[in-house]
Amino acid sequence: MELATFGAIMTFALELEQRAAVFYEEAAHGSLQEPFSDLAKMAHKRAKRIERTRREGIAEMILEPITGMNGEDYLVELVPGRDEIERLSQAIRLAETSIRFYQDAAEKIPVKEVARTCQRMATESEKQKAELLRLQV
Amino acid sequence: MAPQVLKNYIDGEWEESKSKEMLDVRNPATAEVIAKVPLSTTDEVDRVVQAAREAFQGWRETTPYTRARYMFELKNQMEERFEDLAAVIVKEHGKIIDEARGEVRRSIENVEVAAGIPSLMTGYNLEDVSHGIDEDCVYQPVGVFCCVTPFNFPLMVPLWFMPYAIACGNTYIVKPSEICPVSQMVLFELLDEIDLPPGVVNMINGDKRVVDALLENPDVDGLSFVGSTPVGKYLYAKAAAHGKRAQCQAGAKNCLVVMPDAVLTQSVPAIMSSVFGTAGQRCLAGALVVAVGDVYEPLEEMLVEAASNLNVGDGMDETIHMGPVVTQRSLDRIRGYIEKGIEEGATLLLDGRDVQVKDYPDGYFIGPTIFTDVTPGMAIAREEIFGPVMGIVRVDDFDQALEVIHGSPYGNAASLFTTSGKWAREFEYRVQAGNLGINIGIAAPIASFPFSGMKDSFFGDLHGQGRDAIEFFTDRKVVITRWF
Repeated sequence: MELATFGAIMTFALELEQRAAVFYEEAAHGSLQEPFSDLAKMAHKRAKRIERTRREGIAEMILEPITGMNGEDYLVELVPGRDEIERLSQAIRLAETSIRFYQDAAEKIPVKEVARTCQRMATESEKQKAELLRLQV
Repeated sequence: MAPQVLKNYIDGEWEESKSKEMLDVRNPATAEVIAKVPLSTTDEVDRVVQAAREAFQGWRETTPYTRARYMFELKNQMEERFEDLAAVIVKEHGKIIDEARGEVRRSIENVEVAAGIPSLMTGYNLEDVSHGIDEDCVYQPVGVFCCVTPFNFPLMVPLWFMPYAIACGNTYIVKPSEICPVSQMVLFELLDEIDLPPGVVNMINGDKRVVDALLENPDVDGLSFVGSTPVGKYLYAKAAAHGKRAQCQAGAKNCLVVMPDAVLTQSVPAIMSSVFGTAGQRCLAGALVVAVGDVYEPLEEMLVEAASNLNVGDGMDETIHMGPVVTQRSLDRIRGYIEKGIEEGATLLLDGRDVQVKDYPDGYFIGPTIFTDVTPGMAIAREEIFGPVMGIVRVDDFDQALEVIHGSPYGNAASLFTTSGKWAREFEYRVQAGNLGINIGIAAPIASFPFSGMKDSFFGDLHGQGRDAIEFFTDRKVVITRWF
């Protein structure tokens, strides 16, 4: 799916966070219960932030096509199984995808406030990735 | 399922109109009938005015702080229903979902500004204007106001007026566009939810007969209108004849002047947005691109390339850049102008007439269209097309560009693209248009500023939004005091 408008990018971001929340909720058991529950909570918070940004950032109408972003490039398989290592690996891939997606979006969306939000999302995802890597060790 | 028949909202209640006359409201992307709007009777107009008049005294005695709190509640309701409101706008108007979201945001901003009424409505005074004598100027509400609003921003335009009017202590009647009345119905569901006293806000559907009856009713104190110039002129005269105050925002033919020193990579997207946003159905839309000197060739090439890349389709699809126009009639009119442009000798660089939208065979679609070799005398340069049609005019210098702007009877908006402060200043100083953009394609004033307009684009003195709205919806009473 080509992400060729502001709305398309923001909707994709919203879906990414909603999927992340579901994944972390379902995968929060065993030794990953606490960290994944926190990440699920965070994903819900981030989804709300994206919704707010979509509502607020649209005041500057953006018509010109946004090129070079495709939803297919940011797909990540999330199947929370029993294996803890696999769940952790999926979470790391999710964080990496989020970093890449939000960094790209920050570059493409020509509204500073929205770009700042995307940058903030990317920075948070980087921290999440670091935390997940620490758990892996 | 049969389409919903819209109701009126009178005295805090939803009421079916007694009228047998109905118009179809269609989704412009599919031509499907989504609602039916009644053309209310003059008896119903009398009742709605009576309800507003009877509510006035109690409402004006309500403290401005309480009135402001209703505004906060309305804002919260609108934020909650943000996506629903945007979707309704897309379905009845056809604009793309991002543009509809922008409209909802701009609507809410007006409610937010009106929530500042305890500060905005403060009067002023001066002690000792003469020995022992003080003078006060008090802002007081006037009574009953109404608005008659257009299809192109069916949610937002009534909110240029209504929040300020009721925050000031007036009562209000909205007559929505009969082409796009559904988003006002949803707004009134929210107004019903915040539980204003009955009669403070009212809505009556209908056509010219309703508007005439409102203006002829002695209990109506003022009118706000946004629409075409002939109707604006008619209503302004009629309001004056009946002793009412009026603000009538009318038609436009806006020029976008591009100087040789403009940064084209940034100017072209802004021009695209201005001309083709909302399929050109904005009173602030750029219609004529005035290319100064040798910017013409590179600009023309970039504009055609950018416009060719715009996807046309159903506004609910987030991959789309431009939706349909609002009605079959609009589509026919726009096509007629394109044919006229060809007949008059303009060169058609990009023809939007043959655009095909897969799975939407009945939609009112027309693609971005660009004419060059346009001269100021042509109909496509003089008349408001209200569609996605750009005319490019070539001039030698800045003064000639201003002649093109001033040759139009309209004075709604104009923009300049330049890197020169000197030209920007000259533009600001000399151009006779109400809303100016410097490197801005759509010079849309934010809620705390007046939505301006000059010449045949505006009849009245006080505009919608901002401080002008407060002045329009109040009387100034001067009290001179001496105590013995």
